Amino acid sequence: MRLVIERGELLRALSHVTSVVERRTTIPILSNVMLSASGRSLRFKATDLEREVIEVVAADVTQPGALTVPAHMLHDIVRKLPDGAQIELVKDAEKERLTLKAGPSRFALQTLAADDFPDLAVGEMAQEFEVSASDLKRLIDKTRFAISTEETRYYLNGIYLHTAERNGQPTLRAVATDGHRLAQVELPRPEGATGMAGIIIPRKTVHELHRLIEDGAGVVKMGVSPTKVRFEIGTVTLTSKLIDGSFPDYGRVIPQANDKEMKVSNAEFIGAVDRVSTIASERGRAVKLSITADKLVLSVNNPEGGSATEEISVGYVAAPLEIGFNARYLLDIAGQLEGEEARFMLADPGSPTMVRDSSDDSALYVLMPMRV
Amino acid sequence: MREAQPLTIRQLAPETVNRIAAGEVIERPASAVKELVENALDAGAREIEIVTVSGGLSLIRVTDDGCGMEARDLALCVERHATSKLRDDDLFDIRTLGFRGEALPSIGSIATLSVASRPRAGAAPLEVVVDRGEKHPLKPAALNFGTRIEVRDLFSATPARLKFLKSERAENMAVSDVVKRLAMAHPGVGFTLTTGERTGLRLPAAPDGPEGLLARLGRIMGADFLADALPIAGEREGVALSGFAGLPTLHRPDASQQYLFVNGRPVRDKLLVGSVRAAYGDLLPKGRYPLLALFVTLPPAAVDVNVHPAKAEVRFRDAAAVRSLIIGGLSQALAAAGHRATLRGGAMTIDAFVAAATPQREASPSPNLSSAPRSSPPQAAYSSRASGFGEAMQAPFAAFDSLSAETVRAEDLPTADSIARPLGAARAQLHETYIVAQTETSVIIVDQHAAHERLVYERMKAMLANGGVARQGLLIPVVVTLEPDEAACLIERACEWAALGLILESFGSTAVCVREVPALLGHGDVEGLVRDLASGVANDGDTRALQDRLEAVCSTFACHGSVRAGRRLTGVEMNALLRDMEATPHSGQCNHGRPTYVELKLTDIERLFGRS
Ligand SMILES: Nc1ncnc2c1ncn2[C@@H]1O[C@H](COP(=O)(O)OP(=O)(O)OP(=O)(O)O)[C@@H](O)[C@H]1O
Ligand SMILES: [Mg+2]
Repeated sequence: MRLVIERGELLRALSHVTSVVERRTTIPILSNVMLSASGRSLRFKATDLEREVIEVVAADVTQPGALTVPAHMLHDIVRKLPDGAQIELVKDAEKERLTLKAGPSRFALQTLAADDFPDLAVGEMAQEFEVSASDLKRLIDKTRFAISTEETRYYLNGIYLHTAERNGQPTLRAVATDGHRLAQVELPRPEGATGMAGIIIPRKTVHELHRLIEDGAGVVKMGVSPTKVRFEIGTVTLTSKLIDGSFPDYGRVIPQANDKEMKVSNAEFIGAVDRVSTIASERGRAVKLSITADKLVLSVNNPEGGSATEEISVGYVAAPLEIGFNARYLLDIAGQLEGEEARFMLADPGSPTMVRDSSDDSALYVLMPMRV
Repeated sequence: MREAQPLTIRQLAPETVNRIAAGEVIERPASAVKELVENALDAGAREIEIVTVSGGLSLIRVTDDGCGMEARDLALCVERHATSKLRDDDLFDIRTLGFRGEALPSIGSIATLSVASRPRAGAAPLEVVVDRGEKHPLKPAALNFGTRIEVRDLFSATPARLKFLKSERAENMAVSDVVKRLAMAHPGVGFTLTTGERTGLRLPAAPDGPEGLLARLGRIMGADFLADALPIAGEREGVALSGFAGLPTLHRPDASQQYLFVNGRPVRDKLLVGSVRAAYGDLLPKGRYPLLALFVTLPPAAVDVNVHPAKAEVRFRDAAAVRSLIIGGLSQALAAAGHRATLRGGAMTIDAFVAAATPQREASPSPNLSSAPRSSPPQAAYSSRASGFGEAMQAPFAAFDSLSAETVRAEDLPTADSIARPLGAARAQLHETYIVAQTETSVIIVDQHAAHERLVYERMKAMLANGGVARQGLLIPVVVTLEPDEAACLIERACEWAALGLILESFGSTAVCVREVPALLGHGDVEGLVRDLASGVANDGDTRALQDRLEAVCSTFACHGSVRAGRRLTGVEMNALLRDMEATPHSGQCNHGRPTYVELKLTDIERLFGRS
């Protein structure tokens, strides 16, 4: 293999693919990235056996070939090379090492054969459709905080993506829950998505995807099969296995009859929760919400650290109510809301509370209270 | 095939009856020793001498200076069911170690037994011999006041039993263990044990009272125990508890140094193991056991001693009360000991100093060097490492090392009264890790990280106990499938779990449904927690699984919230830490069971300089 590539191109591709590579793995080849040069392009592929990322960039290939090299090391080297450098990659057939030359720098990297590099065996995709990167990003952004990290209920370790309907309109809906709270966000169903079976996208894939659509530009081509999902984002393709399990019937935990409505300025609410919770030094400390006519008093009482209260005016006409929540959870949810006003739909101190965004009907959050 | 014949029933011969009884009562030589020493104690002996040869198989001799026996009693004592001890035949009023009149005849049926005795008021000493069940007439003997019992050729009448015996060494150990246990319960009596040629144990009679007891326990359980023993005392509803328990920093890998005595009788009881675990709880590292000797005294009617052939077990009428008395007594003593760390740490340090200070000529890379404390001369440590070649070495700025002993500035200097406090006045911080303090009689070295970690942990635990446990409701309840009896046991005690923040209800007969969890646990594995709890409850009533988890969370928090080693503290901060340690229960060891400080007694330091 022999080729020349511009440093910026190489760096961009590596930063897209190397983040799936685990830093500690017991299978040596999994710490490598596969490079295959042919025609006028260089193809990168990295995997952790659950998902793989492939990117193809233009390169000046004089001799085709394929090999694998330590991904993070290559990435680190390229990062440290000066901007605009022309990088030459050479490996002679009889040699074990890949030589990287850039100006006065010269590196020799240990390689492993490309033939041994695992393949996710991406088969036919049953369903294919397109969705705008910004829409997809919104789905992920507003739900991923609620993904469970606890492994026994593995089917909660991802985002549940499926088709649904709202107000008679077909939608594509994302739901995540960790058993304490739940987030649900929808978008108008893209053409071609109808009939898609519900899928659970694993947490790590969600974070990878999020990184790749950070800028929210362009269109993402999605392909779904019963066991895999594929996202094509420009020159990058992310393919992942799905979580093999059934997502619980979440509809039952979304309250339908919470009739006590509290409207509050989201910014004021976030500020107040953040301030009073300073007193609660460790996790699991509750913020108490005492709601009376048009008034909300937030309070935290920590027998060790002291206490804090703050009052804000709200829109509320129902019977007075006292209810406790984990401060962290309140902040997580309030942080997703974009509108000026947050709407809390409450029932009683032991039942789930629903939170909605005044400016965005397509998102809703459910939170279970805490009790002391 | 033989035709089954109707068998006629007949009364067994007395020797056979005795041998059957002996099979239960005398399991090994040590059992015979136990019976004989118990008899001597029952006879009010002040001095007891025990001799064994060949692990007790060829000879066991027990000589006492007790009340002795008259001729008539001497003739009777080897007869089955003959006893002077059971008053009005009342098995619920047993005040002596013996009560069955079974030991001597049993031994006499399987060995050659000789009992020689001379009562104080009586005339000439007499002897009775029983040879494998055959009793000989009384004959004169030579003896001071008291009783001398000899057992020769034990098990010669039941050779099958010989096959089950262990090595001579093992039998000797068992004999010694039996004598030790009885001696612990009777510190006022002197004991001498000679196994083979060697005098294995010589325990002079100790004065009455706790000091005497502690002295006796120290001889048997070791000097470390003596130094680290906390007195235990308690009483409730006619049940009294006394004895000594070791600090949690003194521990060993098994429970073999945990002794329980009930009305002066050494017993083995699971109750002790469980109570000790409950009381020491998180003070000990996993898999380590404290040392202790506890004495329970209660009215004879409140305990049944007639449940085990070797009397090694008893049955309490109210076991729960005894258990809570033990837990209470231990917890109280442990809490009161608070910051008191093991003195052994200090002694070990001194020993290490002494070892390092002794010039060692041969053996050039001294093996002691590695075990010596860091404060050994830096050049020595340096040069021994320098001999290794090839490994890159970063030489330190030597000058900086001497600077790190930050002395306390004048305005921080404590008043005289803090020197009088148990942990004294802070004098310096060394290596930004250790606080050195001065008391009236010692130098204290505190590991600041370990100490602070424990303080934070104890505070969090107290909070947990006071403020109740905040619960997080579950949006999606967790259903855990269990064995039916596990589920039932778990549901039965739902109230207890609720107090700790776990709300669950039954879900059919083989599952429980968890609705709320302790908020402190965050997103922990609920199912695993419930399973652990269920199997603990169903198997041995151990309910600590939940509390353990909560405490484990506290403990990791504590670790993160602690003053790390490497932070420089001001004099005020150091003194505050010392005062906090004095005021906090259990601050003498960190969450991992290591001491948080060591105390170097001035007398020990003087020894270092040869000034003692
Ligand atoms: N060392 C001794 N000094 C004085 N009397 C003794 C001594 N050893 C035994 N006796 C007498 O012999 C009797 C029988 O002893 P033995 O050990 O067989 O029975 P016990 O002690 O009464 O009951 P147990 O079988 O429960 O030990 C005792 O009741 C006691 O009166
Ligand atoms: Mg006896």
